[in-house]
Amino acid sequence: MSPKARVRQILSRVPAYLWAGVLLVILLVLLALVTQGGAPQGAAQVTRADRVTVRNGVETVQAVALPHLWDDGTQTWGNEVQYRLRLPTAAPEATPGDPQLALLLPRVGVRFRVLFNGQEVESQAWRRGPGYFDTGTHAHLVPLPQSLRKPLWEDNRVEIQLQPQALRISGLAPVWIGARDALQERHQRLIWWQVHLTWMVAASALMMGLLSLLIWMMSEERLLGLLAAGLLVLTLRLYLSTPLFLPGPFLAWDYLHKLTFTLYCGFLYLFISELFDFRQSVVRKLVKVMMVIGPVWLGVLVWTQNYNLYRLWTGVIVLVCVLALLKVIHRARWGMDVNQRLMVVVGLATMVTGLRDFLVVQVGLPGDVDIRWMTAGSLVLMFAMGWVLVQRTSQSMEQVERLNAELAHKVSEREEELHAMFSRLRAVESQRVLETERRRLTRDMHDGLGSQLVQTLNLVHSSGERVESAAIAFMLNHALEELRMTLDSLEPMGGDLPTILGTLRQRIAPALKAASIELDWQVQEVPAVPGLEARGVMHLFRCLQEVFANVVKHAHASRVAVRTWQHGERICLSVTDNGVGLGDAPDSGYREGGRGISNIRLRAAEIGAEVWFSGALPGTRVTFSFAHEGPMVGAAEA
Amino acid sequence: MQAQDEPRSGDGPADDTRIYLIEDDPTVLQFVRQALLSRPHWRLLGHSDSLAHARVHALRADANVFLVDLGLPDGRGEDLLHLLAREKPGAELLVFTVFGEESRLVGALEAGATGYVLKGCTGEDLTAAIEQIREGGAPISPLLARMLLKQFRLVQEALPVIPVVALREEVLLSERETDVLKLVAQGYVNKEIASKLAISPTTVGTHIKNLYRKLAVHSRVQVVRAAQERGLL
Repeated sequence: MSPKARVRQILSRVPAYLWAGVLLVILLVLLALVTQGGAPQGAAQVTRADRVTVRNGVETVQAVALPHLWDDGTQTWGNEVQYRLRLPTAAPEATPGDPQLALLLPRVGVRFRVLFNGQEVESQAWRRGPGYFDTGTHAHLVPLPQSLRKPLWEDNRVEIQLQPQALRISGLAPVWIGARDALQERHQRLIWWQVHLTWMVAASALMMGLLSLLIWMMSEERLLGLLAAGLLVLTLRLYLSTPLFLPGPFLAWDYLHKLTFTLYCGFLYLFISELFDFRQSVVRKLVKVMMVIGPVWLGVLVWTQNYNLYRLWTGVIVLVCVLALLKVIHRARWGMDVNQRLMVVVGLATMVTGLRDFLVVQVGLPGDVDIRWMTAGSLVLMFAMGWVLVQRTSQSMEQVERLNAELAHKVSEREEELHAMFSRLRAVESQRVLETERRRLTRDMHDGLGSQLVQTLNLVHSSGERVESAAIAFMLNHALEELRMTLDSLEPMGGDLPTILGTLRQRIAPALKAASIELDWQVQEVPAVPGLEARGVMHLFRCLQEVFANVVKHAHASRVAVRTWQHGERICLSVTDNGVGLGDAPDSGYREGGRGISNIRLRAAEIGAEVWFSGALPGTRVTFSFAHEGPMVGAAEA
Repeated sequence: MQAQDEPRSGDGPADDTRIYLIEDDPTVLQFVRQALLSRPHWRLLGHSDSLAHARVHALRADANVFLVDLGLPDGRGEDLLHLLAREKPGAELLVFTVFGEESRLVGALEAGATGYVLKGCTGEDLTAAIEQIREGGAPISPLLARMLLKQFRLVQEALPVIPVVALREEVLLSERETDVLKLVAQGYVNKEIASKLAISPTTVGTHIKNLYRKLAVHSRVQVVRAAQERGLL
């Protein structure tokens, strides 16, 4: 194995969470390098100011350190405050090409204006009416016009006036003063971190949220649904974090902004609990309660405008998050899969970014206080969640493909088995039909043709030298007719009763003619009779043969009528003679219990027909009744 | 090989019935000869006992009635019917068959047969059948009629693809022919059909014979179509 391949093999064995961990460490180091604190060249930071407030016409001046938050003190809302900056003793050095100075306000709000030597040089929403304004979301660069500058540096005054907003942290962060060129560069950098990066995270969250939503709609996997909800709520929160102005009442937007944080934390935790399979966790139930109570609690906050309620609520959220983290760590002791480890690593890294922001901004550890790492941390967390999403989806797809392949294999096997079974069944059925037909033909040949030939042979034997050729010819002719009738029954007649009767007519007509019996043919088209296939045709032939034999031999009739017709759901066939009638003569042929009647009844039952024998006044009528199915398929439809 | 030139069976020159028999069973030959005794003016011009012999000698004979057995020892009678139908268009081609065998009869009619006679019939039946066919009639059975209706319905369905318009009349059933076939299929005999349709029994026979001719034409149209599809025409 080549060294290159060996390295690739080793790398492929390293789990994803280790890769992610290494990458995150690199990212944190890069963030530290990029945001390393340091004053812009030619600028000085103002960290102290005199706060001037006017109450009942009395001006109060108090020295404060920056950053100074409006609601840190005991003042009530609805006032203005003015910060008179304590400028550096030495004038900042302007660049040779651009002598103008400027102020950089990294965080100031929620509305403000800047006065330079008593003249207003910048105003943000200062004179606007009520509405959603928050200048604290952006850094602001305020040029100090050269014309207003007094010759002696110590004579110059810079005052920043603020209007605060209930339920929103207002105040002033340390201010930079110096050459405009130097501060402009710094301003652009802050705008990138504070606005552009937030937009990037929002766009990524939206894209991944929609993707998760789409996959959730297809797969209905709960994990993806929670992820989609969390990401879409985060998108809304980020969208509300950057604008200076929004149309509509401030409190409505502020309520939504705070609610999105609660919901984001809730959905994120539910996503993680689903990922880690904490279905029965107490924390999970707590989160659900938090998500239900949250909107009500925040409603009360808007109603009372008591910011302490929000502090308390934030504490609850933090507590739940800590509990969730402990649960994750507890779970980690029992082993986790790659995705879970990845989420732990990335979650910890995100927490590191939050911790760094807290330590730098609040505690004052070295670092750029105006740049927050948390935004970049959120982005990483989001990509990690996206990675989990992709992994889950690809795993499900692989599983579906595997299941499909197994299913297709099983279906194919069953299909082959069924095919083989059907083939066997067909062969058995075919064999059975052949056997039945063979038996039927054998029986017909034996009873019909065979017995005729035996009779003929006996006649020849008994005649000795004087053979009666006319009698022999008659009997042979009879045998031939028997054979023809058997073969006729094998022709495909499709249950067409008239054609079956017509075929029989050819066989019986000579006998009737010989007996001088007139045949009245009144056959008409009727629907096809099911069951009149080869065997059924033969049964009907035999029945009618018996009937006509009776007419010729016993009825003493001069006329016989054959008629077909449809009666409701039944197809009827009658053979009526004008002879002696039932019971009028001892040898009329039709005696109840006699062989003729019972033979006809048996054969009729075989083909599902009913049969009646009745007097025709004079004569006898034999009526067959068949059930039929479907439309008329007589000769015209043959 | 049997003799090709039989002595004249009839003397009277008035009737011009000249018969040629293609049959390998000598008893049938004997039966035919016996039957023709009742028609002295009819002539049996010759007989062949094999397909090969018939191909040469039957074609040479100046007969106007050919009695053809379908089961010849060296081939199918249908092939001979095709040949005779083409070479002797004015002659009547009667199929000799032991049983009805309607399924096979349809094939024979398509090959050009104009009627059939059942073996085992009486001599009178044979001469009557020949007379019937000479007078323009044709024998038929209910089952055969049913099969022909089916066959012509297939032609009807194929009509739109029949390329030659002039052929349509030659291959399609007329209304009257359809009525005749339906009644035959219901078991009615020619006399009853004539009565029902108010035509003469002879006309009924003519209709049936026409059907046979159309069936043969249909068969030829199919051959032409098949040739066209293969690019041979």
